[in-house]
Amino acid sequence: MNTHLRTPIRSEAQQRADEIAIFRAELARLEGEGVLQLDAAQGEAVRAHHAALLAAFAGAFDIDRNVQAKQLSLGMRVASFLGALALAASVFFLFYQFWGNFGEIAQVVILLGAALGSLVLTIAIQSRDASGYFTKLAGMVAFACFVLNLVMLGQIFNITPTDRALIPWAALAFLLAYTCDLRLLLAAGICCVIAFVAARVGEWGGIYWLHAGERPENFFPVAVLLFAFPQFVDHRRMTGFAAIYRIFGLLCLLVPMLVLGHWGWGSYLADYEGVSTRTIEGGYEVAGFVASALAIWLGARRQWSDTVNTGITFFVIFLYTKFFDWWWEAMPKWLFFFVLGLAAILILLVLKRLRTSGAAGGAP
Amino acid sequence: MRLTPRNTLIAGAALILLVNAVALTGVYINRSGEPEARMTLSQRELGMPWDWSAAGDNSGLVLGLNWRVNDGHAVENFYADYGYHGGTPEWLDEPRMKALGFDTAPVAEGSEARRRFERTLPREVLLVLELAGPAWHQALQRARANAVRHEAARLANADSKEFAAKAKQAQEALKNEEIRNSRLFAIDAGLDRAALRAKYPDRGRFLILKAKLRPSLATQDRKTRVSGHVSELAVRRINVPHALRPQLEPVLRKPRRNGLDPDANYEATVAVGQRLEPWIEAVSVSR
Repeated sequence: MNTHLRTPIRSEAQQRADEIAIFRAELARLEGEGVLQLDAAQGEAVRAHHAALLAAFAGAFDIDRNVQAKQLSLGMRVASFLGALALAASVFFLFYQFWGNFGEIAQVVILLGAALGSLVLTIAIQSRDASGYFTKLAGMVAFACFVLNLVMLGQIFNITPTDRALIPWAALAFLLAYTCDLRLLLAAGICCVIAFVAARVGEWGGIYWLHAGERPENFFPVAVLLFAFPQFVDHRRMTGFAAIYRIFGLLCLLVPMLVLGHWGWGSYLADYEGVSTRTIEGGYEVAGFVASALAIWLGARRQWSDTVNTGITFFVIFLYTKFFDWWWEAMPKWLFFFVLGLAAILILLVLKRLRTSGAAGGAP
Repeated sequence: MRLTPRNTLIAGAALILLVNAVALTGVYINRSGEPEARMTLSQRELGMPWDWSAAGDNSGLVLGLNWRVNDGHAVENFYADYGYHGGTPEWLDEPRMKALGFDTAPVAEGSEARRRFERTLPREVLLVLELAGPAWHQALQRARANAVRHEAARLANADSKEFAAKAKQAQEALKNEEIRNSRLFAIDAGLDRAALRAKYPDRGRFLILKAKLRPSLATQDRKTRVSGHVSELAVRRINVPHALRPQLEPVLRKPRRNGLDPDANYEATVAVGQRLEPWIEAVSVSR
């Protein structure tokens, strides 16, 4: 399956703008060194073409045209992320503050109106907001309103809590994420999917769904699903979506392994007679090292920096926790930290070698 | 379908409306027809949750269902009578745990197997709660016997402050049992609602609600037996409808001088619907 999703192409515009800036700098250098000299007509044509492109991009996508704009953009991204979370929390508390003053019908109408109204607002803002920051704020509020909608319906009418509520929450989050190119909403949708799949896997084993997290292995199936998903659905036109799927997939694999490496009693395997918790913990420690190393290898091979970085982070965590288990009590502290430092140098050397071989392999 | 803003708006609005419709249809189904059970509970069984009055940011009003289990330890432990949410009932034995789907076979295989049994995670079961039935009378009798025993000990040790304090505590526990503690007791559990209702046909005395059950081992007189810990109901709190709040709120919000404040007397008719979800139909306050 190779689904092409219609998306905004803000990321492509930004990438093209960056490449134009690099091209201009390199062309100026080549001209200065006397390697290449475009004639006046060619130079003017290139300049005019690039200027037109940048103007079009800036009008449509509010892209960063220089380094300063990029730095400010980072600040704006942080501000919009925090603002989105704060506004979502505000919506919750606003309703809690006043909902008791209304009858049940009014409560339902307000909840429904808030969910629909915030959705309309998000779409309206998206068509006017070239930067995407305000769309992110509105999208997060729309998602919070919908979550609140179902949570409060449950509270007003004493409905039995169910994991099925996670499906529509995920659906709305994905809808807004893919339409408005919002990674925060994508992460929210993925979290709902993780909770739902883990709960279902636990339920198949007879566990009450709210306790599915007490068996960390329940997260392994969703780890595979998330990691594999971008391989089957093309996300090249979405900014960083594939990376987010892969990172969450790895988190769902490596965090449970890390937990089970220290808490074998939480594993399904502990149900079997003759399988000691020490064996389970040892097995998951080895599995954690192998899985992180595989993630680094696969990431380097496929040029997925997100996968490489996640793999390295967990490899180091597994290694350091193992060092702690082995040597914290036995070694003088200076020696313990010296060994940690040596391990870091060793990892750097291995990665450097990996990078060199990757560059050599990728050379024409 | 291309994800244009228009399509997203239509799909999103349809999703929101559909999900609300499904949820509200569920509410309608639950409350349609004759309720599965209907009973009148007092402030003993329905109280404001301990963390609710402190929740100043929440303008809603809910009542928590106070229910108990007879775990056989109430005589020895004064404070067991205050435990309102769950416990290890005496009636929850090995055959019943087996019938509820728990594998009890490993328990006989040794200490490691017993540990494995206890780590089994909770499952959803149907819990039968009885109002002011034999289980409550048993608890009352136990409290009376306890008070009598401690009073006799106090009289036999007239100079002892310790015996006097224990006798006073036992009297307070008895008073609590008579006028304050919940009379709603978990008396059975099963998976088949129809079978449970056939066994407990009085819909004004027996509630059937969804609850969580975790396997456990109970040790008494150096004997370990298979049991289960009923930890909590699926719907723990019942929303007070807006129309009923004016009657109930002044009573509930009134500061209580102590635990036996006689002002907080009210009754609520609680119905349980087809999906075993409860709601409050009416309240009456006696002053």
